[in-house]
Amino acid sequence: MAKALIDSAFHPTEIIALIQYKFTQSSSSSSSVLTRKEKIACWRKSKIRCYEFLNLTSRSFAVVIQELNEELRDAVCLFYLVLRGLDTIEDDMTIPIEKKLPILRDWEKIIATDGWNFTENGPDEKDRQLLVEYPVVIEELEKLDTVYKEVIFDIAKRMSNGMADYATNAAHNEYGVNTIKDYDEYCFYVAGLVGLGLSNLFSASGLESPEVGKNTKLSISMGLFLQKTNIIRDYLEDLNENRRFWPKEIWSKYASNLSDLKDPDHKKQAIDCLSNMCLDALQHVPDCLVYMGNIRDQKIFNFCAIPQVMAIATLALVFKNYNIYLRNVKIRKGETVKLIQKATNILNVIDIFRHYTQVIITKNDSRDPNFLKISIACGQIKQWCQTLEASHKLSSKSKAFNKTSELNLFDAQLFILFVLLLLATTGWAMHLWGIHWEQVVNHLIFFN
Amino acid sequence: MNHVLVIGGDGFLGRWIVELLLRRNSDPNQPNYAISIFDLQQRYFDESLTYYTGNLTQYEDINLAIAKSRAKTLIHTASPPHGLNSKIYWDVNVGGTKNVLKACVENGVEKLVFTSSAGVLYDGISDLVNVDETASFPKVFHDDYHETKAEAEKIVLAANRQNGLLTCAIRPSAIFGPRDQQLAAGMIKVMERGQTKFQIGDNFNLFDFTYVENVAYAHLLAMDKLSSDPDIKVGGEAFLITNGTPIPFWDMPRFIWSQFNHYPPYYIKMSRTAGLALAYCAEWACYLLNREQGFTRYRVKYACSSRYFNINKSKTILGYSPPVDLEEGIKRTCEHLVQQNPKNGK
Repeated sequence: MAKALIDSAFHPTEIIALIQYKFTQSSSSSSSVLTRKEKIACWRKSKIRCYEFLNLTSRSFAVVIQELNEELRDAVCLFYLVLRGLDTIEDDMTIPIEKKLPILRDWEKIIATDGWNFTENGPDEKDRQLLVEYPVVIEELEKLDTVYKEVIFDIAKRMSNGMADYATNAAHNEYGVNTIKDYDEYCFYVAGLVGLGLSNLFSASGLESPEVGKNTKLSISMGLFLQKTNIIRDYLEDLNENRRFWPKEIWSKYASNLSDLKDPDHKKQAIDCLSNMCLDALQHVPDCLVYMGNIRDQKIFNFCAIPQVMAIATLALVFKNYNIYLRNVKIRKGETVKLIQKATNILNVIDIFRHYTQVIITKNDSRDPNFLKISIACGQIKQWCQTLEASHKLSSKSKAFNKTSELNLFDAQLFILFVLLLLATTGWAMHLWGIHWEQVVNHLIFFN
Repeated sequence: MNHVLVIGGDGFLGRWIVELLLRRNSDPNQPNYAISIFDLQQRYFDESLTYYTGNLTQYEDINLAIAKSRAKTLIHTASPPHGLNSKIYWDVNVGGTKNVLKACVENGVEKLVFTSSAGVLYDGISDLVNVDETASFPKVFHDDYHETKAEAEKIVLAANRQNGLLTCAIRPSAIFGPRDQQLAAGMIKVMERGQTKFQIGDNFNLFDFTYVENVAYAHLLAMDKLSSDPDIKVGGEAFLITNGTPIPFWDMPRFIWSQFNHYPPYYIKMSRTAGLALAYCAEWACYLLNREQGFTRYRVKYACSSRYFNINKSKTILGYSPPVDLEEGIKRTCEHLVQQNPKNGK
């Protein structure tokens, strides 16, 4: 908390957000359903264990999932654990490929097999316990309503087969992602499918219209935008672990090796390449905005919008930011909290996207080979913001949207106010104690 | 053979329309046209074109041209340049257009495509944000040029389905392109004067710049689609035409300058209010020193306003999509500027 506060020292609105967050957190609804004792008293042991795993295996996701409506929450939680289990096998390099492959190919059958577990993960695999106790997930999955089960099994099947294909694709493992098309396809398997599955779960729950699930392009874009932003931000981390997700079709325009980009001699090329990657991610933003505009349920909206606003904030932060080649770049905790507080309706989300798009516009530079393309992409986003805002203002005239922007004073204005207040109080105190400015200055200069 | 008369066919946009028609003539898969041009004076000399010089304000001039050309299709792009006195605009834009309509009836013309302007929606103060054709004309226009354009557009559209004539209007936004004397050329002037460091406003205002060939193409689409079939709702309609890619205003000049390898080392940003105050002083200084006014309040307002449009109607009804994207359009424009004036190119 202290570090977060110091990081936000020049952003007073974030300090306010942090303090508010701290207080609401410790009082009413806790982030984990498991601490809401009164509710889980009658839960099955396996269900409790599933939620424990959710909290153990995911940091960011666990919080938002548990805010969902009860029925949907269980489905999404299990969906998450099914994919997490799959990922834990796919990701573990200590498992030999001939062992891994049949599990990936059969994943959809495995999750319907009572009592299946897996104990051969490497000792360093942080989520290995989940697979050891996997029968609890399978048991809960079994009890889930068929409409949800169908969605989860369908996505599990497609994703596990995709992963199996990648695991046997020597070129992919050796050289990383090649074309932009491959990049989109890879992101589709690891994130687009998650978007699809979630949308289908939302529609299956009846909380959202069937169209949310049917409009697959929008759902896929939701996943791709998040994934691509992470891939850009995690350049260094991934490279250090020998993972190469930046497509060759892009980086080869700027360097002869992906790893050359972090070489200080290639600074200009590295920044240009980064812009090109950001441009590619920006293409998905209009779809994401339209998707969020179609969401009706408040809790589902928060669930979808929080990761998206974090992604656009991250993208604006990494754009033109050479630091991603040197260290891990992250948005400030205070900024995150402020975004979470604000991302509660489409109009606020549009505001946030517009704000960060303007940050990108301001950083854009005519020396960049993609200058105009980035400019156009930003223009497109702003135009969509406008279109959606107009249609939502029109449709929400009756049920007055509560825009949570009382704290929307500019940081700069608040900061100046703080400084003025500080000066005024010091002046007043000095006046009371009969101290003069001269004395203070003399003291500081001559007697220090 | 289709007989087409392009009024103002030697002007900036008019010439592009003529060139697209000529392009169709050289394509065996496209319809052929007998192309005639009506303009104040002849500037181009193509053998395959028939020229009629005359003044639009004289009914006989235009009537004779239509009669002789045997044109059943008219594209009317003629308009005086910006910055003239009020009377010329009323005479040419309104009076001239009335003459055209009268002559259309007289000669049994079937189709008329009229070049209007997206500026007919501008009141000189309010931003135009994602505006479409459902917006009505402002009560007060921002200058005589656009007031008379709006008036002429009304008259043209009202003449649809009268006396066998079908009409429609094209409203392009901020046209630029090779041979353009205003937009790109003006931005080059700023570079030559070494004033590229200045930015007025926050550069968050979006602007629709439109490549001239796309505008010309939209005219041909409108001409093709004008039909008595009641299912094709082109007749009597106005269509906004842009490149469909609005960008922050200052990114346009910056991209143009970058084509000449000119990159401002830093930017001096000032607010719109400060810009207006300075421009006011500059206007007075220029007035006193009797110099050409470069930095004016009009330009400050222009650079700080949002002007972009929703072109869905053109996309769905005309089937319009810009053949030349913004980047390509600007590059072609800059190449042309270099050819014209090689000292620009480095």
